[in-house]
Amino acid sequence: MDKLLEIRNLHARIGDKEILKGIDLDILPGQVHAVMGPNGAGKSTLSAVLTGRPDYEVTEGSILYKGQDLLALSPEERAWAGIFLSFQYPIEIPGVTITAFMKAAVNARLKAQGKPEMKTGDFLKLMKEKMALVQMKPEFSKREVNVGFSGGEKKRNEIFQMALLEPALSILDETDSGLDVDALKIVADGVNTLRSPEKSAIIITHYHKLLEYVQPDVVHVLKAGRIVKTGGRELIDAIETKGFDQF
Amino acid sequence: MGHGRYIAPPKGQYQVQSGEKLELQYVILPGESRDLEITVDLAGPGAQAQVKVLYLCRADEKVRIRVVMHHLAPECHSTQLINGIAGGQADVRFDGTIVVAPGAQKTEAYQENHNIVLTQEAKVVTKPQLEIYADDVKCSHGATVGQLNADELFYMRSRGIPESEARTLQMLSFLSPVIPAGREEEIESAVRSL
Repeated sequence: MDKLLEIRNLHARIGDKEILKGIDLDILPGQVHAVMGPNGAGKSTLSAVLTGRPDYEVTEGSILYKGQDLLALSPEERAWAGIFLSFQYPIEIPGVTITAFMKAAVNARLKAQGKPEMKTGDFLKLMKEKMALVQMKPEFSKREVNVGFSGGEKKRNEIFQMALLEPALSILDETDSGLDVDALKIVADGVNTLRSPEKSAIIITHYHKLLEYVQPDVVHVLKAGRIVKTGGRELIDAIETKGFDQF
Repeated sequence: MGHGRYIAPPKGQYQVQSGEKLELQYVILPGESRDLEITVDLAGPGAQAQVKVLYLCRADEKVRIRVVMHHLAPECHSTQLINGIAGGQADVRFDGTIVVAPGAQKTEAYQENHNIVLTQEAKVVTKPQLEIYADDVKCSHGATVGQLNADELFYMRSRGIPESEARTLQMLSFLSPVIPAGREEEIESAVRSL
């Protein structure tokens, strides 16, 4: 099977600080990979580099996504190609409603693909359907993006956006942080519903809880900018009992 | 002295009496260098005033905004919100003064001026001032000059909104508290022209 993502010897820094020091990672279509590691291991840097966040500089190595050079693409081009990041700290955008925001996102992608814009009625119907998936109340469609949202509502909004954009590769950056058990289950159900033989995900976390609900195919331990161990779900238990120091 | 919101002439002196509410709204669009000079006297107890200004400028345009809010009587309430964006080599200056006279107790007066500069060459000077001669008052002012927020921009781009479109959305978001109802499209096309 063709790889969806192929990371080779990836080194990246922010400012003068080298954070990723040679990452190798392959993801096949349909696979869910967990990347676990202590604070400061480089987990969020990995998600930033995959999505093209400015300020992060790749100094060595390569990333192929569906066989093409991902690093040559702008953040919006990566989104059009099917990459999605669920932000650890979702951003508030006062004055812009969720409907306006997501309509701009969906139509920009259609335009980039040379397709006509979605009709407003069709779009609203689709939105409603996807919001239901994460139990967001319909009135949220008129709320300003993340403004006045609780921590759980922000994360549900991220998963709603993911459901609407139907990415081929979803990156969930600490999506479980700050969630209570109920919110965690809603988010996990949303993610599980979106699993398919074509769609892949990277779940970044230092916490095993989400992985009880969304079961990964492969688990990686990231430490000091390198993947120090790769295995199956048994690694989650090992981390839970003995922490990251054993690696 | 109306109770509704209306576009006022660029120079104005207003007296607001007890029980009245003055609402002033200004929109300064690119292509019109403007000099606003507004003085409001809250002359009767309980009088209220609200001033909103939106400005957009580019090239070598000049925008001058001066607001003097006089709280002359007790229990008056005033708010000022001035938000704008300067591109090109535009030159913007805001002088806002709130004066609370002796005896104007229970005054509530708020003033905010937020500015975004799009270029190195654009210049914004903001000078908010408070002169308070009464002791039982609630007053605040805030002024910021900054650039478009990089985190917001990346968030939008990560959803597939192209950079130029994301910047437009961000600017409209920033201006939203001062965009008059019914003029959204006009403001949007002006923002796109910056």
